[in-house]
Amino acid sequence: MIGYLAGRSPLHRAHPYTTLALAAAVLLVAFALTRPLEVWLLVAVAAVLAASGGGEVLRSSVRAALLLSLPIWALLFVLYGLLGAEPRLALGVVSLSAPGMARALVLGGRITAIVLGFLTALGTTSPHRLVEAMTASGVPFGRTFLLASTLTVLPRMRDRARQILEAQQCRGLRIGGSPLARLGALGPLALPLILGALAEVDEQVLALDARGAGGGARRTALEAPPDSGPQRLVRWALLVAVIVAYGWKFWRMRG
Amino acid sequence: MTAVMALEGVAFRYPGAAGEALSGVSLGVAAGEIVALAGDAGAGTSTLLLVATGLAPRLVGGTLTGTRRMPGRCGIVFSRPWTQLTGLCSTVGDEVAFGPASLGLAREPVLASAQRAMERLGITHLAMRDPAHLSGGELQRVVVASVLALEPDLLALDDPAAELDPAGADALYGLLPALAAGGTAVLVATPDLERAARVATRVVVLAGGHVVADGPAHLLEGTRVAAIARAAGCPPPYPPDVPSLLRRVGP
Amino acid sequence: MSGGEVRVEDVRYAYGELEALRGVSLSIPAGETVALLGPNGAGKTTLTRLMVALLRPAAGRVTVGDWDVARKRPDEMAQRLGYVFQHADQQLFARSVREDVSFGPRHLSRSEASVAPVLEELGLTPVAEAHPYDVPPPVRKLVALAGVLAMEPRVLVLDEPTAGLDTQQQERVIGALRRRAAAGVTVLVVSHDLGFVAELVERVVVLRDGHLAADRPARELLYDARALAALELQPPATVEIGQALRLPGAPIRAAEVAAALRGTRWKRSE
Repeated sequence: MIGYLAGRSPLHRAHPYTTLALAAAVLLVAFALTRPLEVWLLVAVAAVLAASGGGEVLRSSVRAALLLSLPIWALLFVLYGLLGAEPRLALGVVSLSAPGMARALVLGGRITAIVLGFLTALGTTSPHRLVEAMTASGVPFGRTFLLASTLTVLPRMRDRARQILEAQQCRGLRIGGSPLARLGALGPLALPLILGALAEVDEQVLALDARGAGGGARRTALEAPPDSGPQRLVRWALLVAVIVAYGWKFWRMRG
Repeated sequence: MTAVMALEGVAFRYPGAAGEALSGVSLGVAAGEIVALAGDAGAGTSTLLLVATGLAPRLVGGTLTGTRRMPGRCGIVFSRPWTQLTGLCSTVGDEVAFGPASLGLAREPVLASAQRAMERLGITHLAMRDPAHLSGGELQRVVVASVLALEPDLLALDDPAAELDPAGADALYGLLPALAAGGTAVLVATPDLERAARVATRVVVLAGGHVVADGPAHLLEGTRVAAIARAAGCPPPYPPDVPSLLRRVGP
Repeated sequence: MSGGEVRVEDVRYAYGELEALRGVSLSIPAGETVALLGPNGAGKTTLTRLMVALLRPAAGRVTVGDWDVARKRPDEMAQRLGYVFQHADQQLFARSVREDVSFGPRHLSRSEASVAPVLEELGLTPVAEAHPYDVPPPVRKLVALAGVLAMEPRVLVLDEPTAGLDTQQQERVIGALRRRAAAGVTVLVVSHDLGFVAELVERVVVLRDGHLAADRPARELLYDARALAALELQPPATVEIGQALRLPGAPIRAAEVAAALRGTRWKRSE
């Protein structure tokens, strides 16, 4: 669900810096926009971005974004919508706060847009290509490895957690059927999961060091992802868009 | 024979440990030798490999006394194939090229080193495969190739066939004589005394962090065959494998 | 011992498109020791996972005693069947060796009195209070085995129990399993180590490509050179010696070969 999904969409083929720049732009612009309509327009843009990553990326990003956002929307609705300030709107039996709802929509929309943007970037950026891009830019191996490992940590943890849960069941632990119960069973697993992962990292660090990973020389990128003029232009344009968005925000605050 | 790697009077203590993991260890390995390191759990064989390759104390911490001479390059192979992968390469070719790429050489020499290493290990047919989808045996050969791509003078292996099936294990140990013939010094720590006996030119036995024996293969008394010979009244030295036992059986 | 019989009836299982088991049938009477051999990908792990209800057969039936495994959960199967996974690291999760070994008995609501003797039996008493990740990998394997033995199951299924162990540790495992077998526990080991297999089992079952390729008494199969070659198996050292020297009685265990060789005139080594 969360993590790289292989594909051939334009986003997949784009330079990793471009995809990440898009996600970062969504994040920054989200905080610059203050009205519900603008924010939800951004959500639509993020959704279009996710769609351009291909059907699978769209489905999994939307699903994960909804799963993460729904509880927050509910909370915001209660906090601001039901318990907010005057003036109030009457909607059937319920009375909602107008400014409260506006605020809830802005905050909720922001989170949704940001999550969608990042999940799309995550889904369309292969850790391998990102590492090659960073290597070609001269980023030292340690940092690239750290970033790439973070991207792959979730699937590895998930596999490990599943194995340990199976082993526990085979020793008599009864796990309730519902996903929530399964999540609860993961609590005491946190420590062994982390320790197991650390023990593996220990060995991995030694092995990689012996293959020259820690050396001072600048690594040769073997397959640097192709960058292009238009893509660089897009990244600059995103930067400009972010600056314009903040400019507009501050101009509106003054006036 | 000049030693490619020499330890003299080496003692090593892990950080925070009460006792020494190695004491008074002197060991030399020359080019072309295959030295098997035998010893029970806790005897210090893995520690000795880390010290010999310079990973201890540099990355592991701890204190080292005594002398270590290793002017050339070292490579090390551990027992679990998947924890030795970078996890960042989508093809075997890239994985093997990782080592030379780290040296900052130009693209052509990097790919040439990788190609040579894959040929030595007989895995050129796997070059475009995804390491994540290989079997344990194939993966371990990729790991060895990745280490060899840097053309180390000393190749250390810590129980390299532990996770492999017999065919994979045989294949792995079967590679070592060719590697040694190519001039690499090979140091392999393993509880698999049967396979070690087949390829080792020399055996070093550790116990409690000390070297207790250093000599020809028949020192591997822990093999099943040696145990049978001993129980059947054979006088020492006990034959470590079936052919040597059969040679000792009288008319 | 009731509930110790394992029966596999025409079982099929596939992972998506990949058929792992294509109609395997096998019957293991209570108290027998059996080795399950075969190349990687033959279906051995799939079969053992079916026995412990981690998988449900696509067709056919697996029963342990009078239990139909398809109707049971893994934690229910744990009451009768102890499963030792191949990799220790995927089944150790407590803060100390002792706590990990106690997990099984505790969750099965059985007495924890079995824990200390099992630790002693496998030589784990000196590390009983250590953290599982602080002991060397081979010792972790013994901890995993201890955790299952402490459950005192009627059926033991072990996946590569001696991989990576030194000779002394292997002796301990063989001893522990022999004692259980003598007490009537059904033992099924998946192993590539024919030397270990020869020391322990009475019967050998070979899987290839999801089919049963052989099911014969150990002594018979190990001395059948042609069958071994066809199954791509190497005879263990004991059998090599037995065949080369034409020892009587088809000895497959080290003790048997040593006994047969006693009285030999040994030549000096060169």
